[in-house]
Amino acid sequence: MNRFLKLVHFEFQRFLKLYLVLMGVIILLQFVGVILESQNYLSRVNEHIYKDLMPKEQFIEQFGTYSFLQIAHSFWFMGPIVLSIAALMIYVFFIWYRDWLGKNTFIYRLFMLPTSRLNVYFAKAVVILLFIFGLLAVQLLLIPIENRVLQWMVPNEYFNMLSINEITNIDYLSILYPPTFMEFILYYGGGMIAVFIAFTAILFERSFRLKGIIYGILYTGLSSVIFIAPILINQLLLEDYFFPLEIFFMEVVMGLIVLAGTIWTAHYLLKNKIRV
Amino acid sequence: MIEVKNVTKKFGRKNVLKGVSFTAEKGEITCLIGINGVGKTTIMKAIMALTPIDGGEILIDGEKIRKESYEKITFIPDTITMPPSMKIKDAFLFMADFYGGWNQLRANELLQFFRLNENDRISELSKGNTAKVNLLLGLSLDVDYILMDEPFSGIDIFSREQIAEVFTSHLIEDRGVIITTHEINDIEHLIDKAVLIDNGVVLREFNTEEVREQEGKSVIDVMREVYKG
Repeated sequence: MNRFLKLVHFEFQRFLKLYLVLMGVIILLQFVGVILESQNYLSRVNEHIYKDLMPKEQFIEQFGTYSFLQIAHSFWFMGPIVLSIAALMIYVFFIWYRDWLGKNTFIYRLFMLPTSRLNVYFAKAVVILLFIFGLLAVQLLLIPIENRVLQWMVPNEYFNMLSINEITNIDYLSILYPPTFMEFILYYGGGMIAVFIAFTAILFERSFRLKGIIYGILYTGLSSVIFIAPILINQLLLEDYFFPLEIFFMEVVMGLIVLAGTIWTAHYLLKNKIRV
Repeated sequence: MIEVKNVTKKFGRKNVLKGVSFTAEKGEITCLIGINGVGKTTIMKAIMALTPIDGGEILIDGEKIRKESYEKITFIPDTITMPPSMKIKDAFLFMADFYGGWNQLRANELLQFFRLNENDRISELSKGNTAKVNLLLGLSLDVDYILMDEPFSGIDIFSREQIAEVFTSHLIEDRGVIITTHEINDIEHLIDKAVLIDNGVVLREFNTEEVREQEGKSVIDVMREVYKG
């Protein structure tokens, strides 16, 4: 356990600098976005009301009030979220390949540690999950601050103050911040399993190289099919026979089966098939 | 004792190891000799379970390798196995964190012996000094067996002498060492046992002292016989 936590700490440190840069970029872009987007709206207000002398009520009727909704749908806000997701998806692969690439093949050392190789696998997975949750937490902290800045920028009569709850319910944000516990389990459980499957697919490639890419793809496909089998069967064969709650529990069970299969496969590959 | 028994391995369709067998005793320096590409490195990786084998068996003190074995046996590959961004002292900390058998006193001693500075970053070291750090990290573990892959390749003459000196010192003492080389000259006088490998098989395994005394032949003489005769 002790060595496992040290591995987690070690892997965390290795990505921390880049991670903090990523966070900085997110914060910067989103604040720039809040300011630019709201200025944009205000200049429209100026143009219509002070130049064209349109009545305020007519303007609001025509263009609507301003709220965080417009920010959430702007490039400045979504861009950093997409960037973070892309960066972490790339790191899912790089967290392994960095140990094989280059002259300093650190993977030799990792696989010669007097601890289970599965600990290396879990440590890398835990670090990925920590980074995901870290970014989500930062975004959740940013939203109320950005909302407040927006409130300062836009005069009250044009501003529609949304609550945090309303903001996190804006279409795609409700996937990042699921409103119910069940959805949380579904999205984040599914995401976690996806990380483990990707790791195992990488180990297939690292074990069998070129052939391993095919094994890895087949493995990923098989795991995905098993995972969504209840939904497929319900939709295609049974014409929506089950209640959503029943489907949910079947998904949980399937998820656990796929997860166990993935970890067992990774263990087997790490012990018997891996090549440095 | 490390026992390599009838180990076979294929890379694709190519048989790299075709039934390799030999033993390496504790307290002896065993040298795997052969030209590049005959599978010496593969044998070492196989011993450390860093590459799978297709047949045969490898035992360390009568047991198959387990995670606990890595406190008992270590492998020094021909490139350093630490992230280049680390300073030497970071590497020490890493080793101390993960290995119960890390011997900091010995590490400090070797640091002085090799005249290295622990504040240097690994990426900024010369080739010779990188090799020395690599060696240092392996030798500072209190293990029974050390495998070294080509510790002399691509290193200047003075560094070679320093490394050769290590072999005769208390740093090796009664440990078991397996070393690979394709140029025997530097260490001929150091080794206790030679294992001549070619084309994935062991051509001859012999005790250097015995051959010297009984047949009056040096390792190089035997190599000539085996490889050319």
